[in-house]
Amino acid sequence: MIVHKEICVGCGRCQPYCPAGAIHFEDRKSAVDQDACFECGTCLRTGICPVDAFREPPQVFAYPRALRKYFSDPTSTHSVTGIQGRGTEESKTNDVTLRCGPGEVGVSIEIGRPTLGMDLHDIQKITRALAASGIHEMEPNNPIHSMILDHRTGELKPELLNERVLSAIIEMQIPREKLAGMLQTIKKVIPELDSVFTLDVVTLLEEGLTIPDEVLATIAAEGFTWRPNAKINMGLGRVADEERI
Amino acid sequence: MTHSLHREGSVDSLERDYTVFIYPARGYNYKGCATKVRHLVEIVYQVGPANMIATTLRENMYSGVRPEEVLDSIRDGCRVFTVFNSREKIRELLVKFKEADEGISIVVSGLIDRVRDIAAEVGLNPHTINLSLGIHGGTHRLPPADVRQFTTMCGHAMVAPKLVEEVIGKIKTAKLDSWQGSLVLAKPCACGIYNPHRSQEMLEEVVPLYTVSRW
Repeated sequence: MIVHKEICVGCGRCQPYCPAGAIHFEDRKSAVDQDACFECGTCLRTGICPVDAFREPPQVFAYPRALRKYFSDPTSTHSVTGIQGRGTEESKTNDVTLRCGPGEVGVSIEIGRPTLGMDLHDIQKITRALAASGIHEMEPNNPIHSMILDHRTGELKPELLNERVLSAIIEMQIPREKLAGMLQTIKKVIPELDSVFTLDVVTLLEEGLTIPDEVLATIAAEGFTWRPNAKINMGLGRVADEERI
Repeated sequence: MTHSLHREGSVDSLERDYTVFIYPARGYNYKGCATKVRHLVEIVYQVGPANMIATTLRENMYSGVRPEEVLDSIRDGCRVFTVFNSREKIRELLVKFKEADEGISIVVSGLIDRVRDIAAEVGLNPHTINLSLGIHGGTHRLPPADVRQFTTMCGHAMVAPKLVEEVIGKIKTAKLDSWQGSLVLAKPCACGIYNPHRSQEMLEEVVPLYTVSRW
């Protein structure tokens, strides 16, 4: 995002709206720090500027900077990168898709959230650690899958590493018996990270919204705890007649 | 990923905060789902959401958009993100969704124990859970928890910590009241699950604890 200096009146109203804290005064006008900007579009979308001084220049959509927008602007859809959006339907449609089935767990590591954002070096630290531990079950429909240069080592494409995004999600489906090893790997990489990540575990429920003991016991044994609130698929979905083969 | 499972704040406050997603599955019930989604959105309006967005319009409830415009915008594949501010409302919604039986995935984020009770009362058998194992890494760099309880209400982190601080300052100096401040905070949220009612309560709690350096 850029601010047209000849239009900006220097009121500064836009500055607190920026999730990246990238807008500041420069010569009594607001300016966007291009390195810090996530291209999330919040400044433009909220219409907070009284003189319409924000512009999204064409280079926002140029590779590799385009990654910033596709990973940070919730209203954007992918185009030039060949990367399919930011995440997948994950547990939200699992009652229909059964992507995470019996005996499996889904694990999501969302790096940069909440609030801080990150550069892509942090993703590589995690993908490398997972690959070194023999964990290669990266979700193929998640955009990070196509950002990895070598799945054996977890190396990302080098031209991406200096980009900054609000967040990106490493998603995997693994057998339940691999959950302990994965959590151990994640614990080891935590001290290396500059940013933060949120950690999720997806599992099928037993009767009466009962979380399988095996899953909770593994989480607790590895020193993690779960929050009292969660995202719960209520089991009301089904395959439509129009889409049955 | 909408971060509805990572909403922070006290358990007491989370008692009045339930997000709901209406989510067609690509390749499974996507084709021809517009009529079903529209019916479910009509039910949402009957019950009375605290906020809502349809992905075909991306205008939240406080943008001035009319319900007819939202309903008219719905096409196949439209996903709907909404939030309710009471246990009674979420229960009523789920009763009506169950009766409607449209076959579209419904996801509720909230306190696990409450959702369990409500599901039992309504006669639903939830299918899958996405548990939050919290925040890790450079957590010392995060804004304080009393600010995060606001920022984490936007599922895509579009509510900036500095905006929370600015709104607190404006309420403190009587430039805004707590409801107006909540609507300022709801504005950047492009996923429609920022709950301004809960936000108003939280602002009234935190504002007395802050000082301002100038009027």
